[in-house]
Amino acid sequence: MNRAIIIGGGVDALVAAQVLTRAGREVMVIESESAEPDDGWVPPWVLRELRIDDLHLEWPDPWLVIPLPDGGRLELWRDMARSAESIRRLSPRDAEHWPAFCERMARLARFLEAVYAAAPPDPLSPGFALRARRLGRQGLADLLRLLPMPVADLLDDWFETDALKGALGAAGILHLLQGPRSGGTAFRLLHHHISCPPGVFRPPRSNIRGLLRRLPRVELQGTEVLHILVRAGAVAGVVLKDGRELAAPVVVSSADPRRNLLELVEPGWLDPELARALRHVRRRGVAARLRLELDRSPGFSALALAPSLDYLERAYDDAKHGRLSRQPYVEVRCDERHRVEAVVQYTPYGVDCRDLSEKVIALLAEHWGDAQPQQAELSAPHELEKFEGWPEGQPHHAELALDQALWMRPLPELAHYRTPIEGLWLCGPAMHPGAGIAGASGLNCAHAILGR
Amino acid sequence: MPKHDAIVIGGGHNGLVCAAYLARAGRKVLVLERRERIGGAAVTEEVFPGFRFSVFSYVVSLLRPEIIRELELPRHGLHILPLESTLTPLPGGDYLAQWNDHDQNRRELARHSLRDAEAYDEFGLMLHQMARAVKPLLAMAPPDPASLSLRELGGLGRLGRYFRSLSKAHFNRLMKLLTMSSADFLDEWFETEALKATKSASGIIGTLAGPRSPGTAYVLLHHYMGELDGVFRAWGFARGGNGSVSAAIAAAARAAGAEIRCSAPVQNVVLRRGSARGVVLENGEEIEAKLVVSGADPRRTFLQLVGEKHLPAEFIESIRRFRFRGASAKVNLALGELPDLTCLPGRGPHLRGAISISPSVAYLERAYDDAKYGEPSREPYMDIVIPSLLDPQMAPPGKHVMSIFVQYAPYQVNGGWTDARRETLGETVVNTLSQYAPNLKKAILYRQVLTPADIERTVGLTEGNIFQGELTLQQMFFLRPVPAWAKYRTPLAGLYQCGAGTHPGGGVMGASGRNAALQILGRA
Repeated sequence: MNRAIIIGGGVDALVAAQVLTRAGREVMVIESESAEPDDGWVPPWVLRELRIDDLHLEWPDPWLVIPLPDGGRLELWRDMARSAESIRRLSPRDAEHWPAFCERMARLARFLEAVYAAAPPDPLSPGFALRARRLGRQGLADLLRLLPMPVADLLDDWFETDALKGALGAAGILHLLQGPRSGGTAFRLLHHHISCPPGVFRPPRSNIRGLLRRLPRVELQGTEVLHILVRAGAVAGVVLKDGRELAAPVVVSSADPRRNLLELVEPGWLDPELARALRHVRRRGVAARLRLELDRSPGFSALALAPSLDYLERAYDDAKHGRLSRQPYVEVRCDERHRVEAVVQYTPYGVDCRDLSEKVIALLAEHWGDAQPQQAELSAPHELEKFEGWPEGQPHHAELALDQALWMRPLPELAHYRTPIEGLWLCGPAMHPGAGIAGASGLNCAHAILGR
Repeated sequence: MPKHDAIVIGGGHNGLVCAAYLARAGRKVLVLERRERIGGAAVTEEVFPGFRFSVFSYVVSLLRPEIIRELELPRHGLHILPLESTLTPLPGGDYLAQWNDHDQNRRELARHSLRDAEAYDEFGLMLHQMARAVKPLLAMAPPDPASLSLRELGGLGRLGRYFRSLSKAHFNRLMKLLTMSSADFLDEWFETEALKATKSASGIIGTLAGPRSPGTAYVLLHHYMGELDGVFRAWGFARGGNGSVSAAIAAAARAAGAEIRCSAPVQNVVLRRGSARGVVLENGEEIEAKLVVSGADPRRTFLQLVGEKHLPAEFIESIRRFRFRGASAKVNLALGELPDLTCLPGRGPHLRGAISISPSVAYLERAYDDAKYGEPSREPYMDIVIPSLLDPQMAPPGKHVMSIFVQYAPYQVNGGWTDARRETLGETVVNTLSQYAPNLKKAILYRQVLTPADIERTVGLTEGNIFQGELTLQQMFFLRPVPAWAKYRTPLAGLYQCGAGTHPGGGVMGASGRNAALQILGRA
């Protein structure tokens, strides 16, 4: 039998399904109902492999507007010179540094992008060392220094404008229970910079999931997997919620690895050491999602309330001690139909978010003029867990921190998409590169299954 | 011909170690110390009549065993008295004690958590393995990862082979340890708050970061390194205070022929045709030497003693970006009587060990929260020892000295450090500690408070950073202090560095001094 069952309907799962289908496997995708409108950036190598050429990227320009305390706005554009103009009004020195900063970050992002195009590298392999050395002396020094750094230190090295540092620093902490002064957050700024042109530090959105669903030869079922069947250390199939059993020698799951291996698989098949390590994979949700519609244009397509690094750090201080941020970091996107989606951070998992919606709307109302909000709906992390399947509300399934990245994502023992259970494979946001790089882990996983 | 082969700037322990190794190799060495006494931050001073303090650094443990052995430090007067325990008093009147004695320790931990008592041995073994894995790196001059020279490539190859020789499990664990926060790391092992807090405190010592910030787990390991050699050398005092560590190294250096001059502050390094050829003292005296080794921190060395106009712009830029941000202060108390702890009243063996004010990880984080925004912690983390209990010569009969390491006291305090600020810090420390030892206030005869600004002024550590530069992953190994110049050399011929601002960094370790000397001698 050459059937493969794919659990989950995310981009990674759908990409894995496509690759396996095209390799002649009989593929079945099993997903529960979930309707997310769009997804993040899809690497070009994934599109090439699936021969998708009608991907639509939604990329606001300016890619970010930052309201200033004095009522003005800092606008960051795709055009580096135009951003520099906006920055110059606040600090000529920062405007002068902007192109060099963007160029150096872009170089490092290209390196990381190349690393993300394949299964996690072996850090000790000569090939990896050679590739890193090709960055040149300055690039290599930048990389080694930047990865473990707090994003606040990196930005302090380059800039003096609070608003600019706040806007960039926010990319270092999005969906992470750390503040901009925590180590390892500069790496995240770089991670989210991948795919962007130099000078843009927010990834685009795309219609990839819709495109993938339209591709033929994939069976979709609106149901849920209850168990993964294991016999004699190898996968035998899955048991569905309605009691049906489907046999398959290969199961690919995009559920988070902890749930996957500790809940879906009967306990006892896993080495206790690995089970213990899995229980310690950190996946704390820290952001709520607010959706609403406006009756007219708010006058921006992307806006961030992150006026300074200290503002972000103080927001984190509250969360660190288990409270909602009194002054949350809010990042908003608005589409042509004035549908607004906002990320509100920090809202620790399990904390009561009842009055948050009004509070955030009040914060935002100052910036959208006369527009009136309708149908506001805020989802706290525990609701995102329930409706989106994000463990503890964490969309990356495993926090993207240095100790859970690259060959350690989510654990060194599982980083190569393979599990100790023969025939059971992992993909999804928790797998390298994951965390917003849509489709890449699905592709890498499928390649590993096919032995490519 | 210059009279000296080498001049070592600064008579701190690393400068002295470097001088001792150079002298033993037959070089004519002159050590120039700015203060009237040698030792740098490892000094013993009679601050108040009859009361002798290890004024700055106060315990020994990291001092490399090969240095103790090769310089025959015990023969030159070094004697270490072990610390037997760490006591963490808790706000409710309970306490957590960690003992060197295995069974006693297990019983005590089991009182708090059976699970933690079970995990403790395995944890100790794991850290021991990690420390063993890192140990060979401490004695290594970090190769330049971007160089194309055969020598550097060879070094990189050896490094790669070394890491490959570790088991995969050990390598992965080491990588995690390098990148994790100490709090997350300890969460994987223990559940008792006080245990996690006291252990994670080792991860924040000297650094302006909280225990939840990634990168702090390595500092924890760095502080664990001392428990490696010997049966259980652990942390201890030098008899006579930490000044006697410096004195023993100095004696070894002198015995090998090195000359040490105190009250000889260096004004600048003399350069001829781009190479270091000696120094000028503040009194105008010029001393020639074939090479100059600086034990001062990188900022002081390059921006003050050399001057930026003599160095490449990129190098200077990197030196400026090397971070210090001293985060700790020191309070030294002369006591008329021993502190009487509410949790363990009376004079017991627990007073002979360390006392750690670290009841929970949240406590440490709150202490850090204040410091982030430029205020000293309202309730600081403290590491306390009473050396006079182990070494009676430190205080008059019946009286005691107490050494308190205080964190956080940020160098960049709002409004700057003033006399009033210093006294407020002293009050905060005494008040916080009095919550656990109510008799403390009336026991205090004298009090000395050293802020990061005082530390900078007195011993010349920039921004009062006890490691001569933050010990964070982005400032370690290849990158300490500056990429491409991590091998104790500098862009100027004849100028070397041997301070803790170079690999492997701070603590009274001596490894930087030894590694630098071996580089100079071409034996690395």
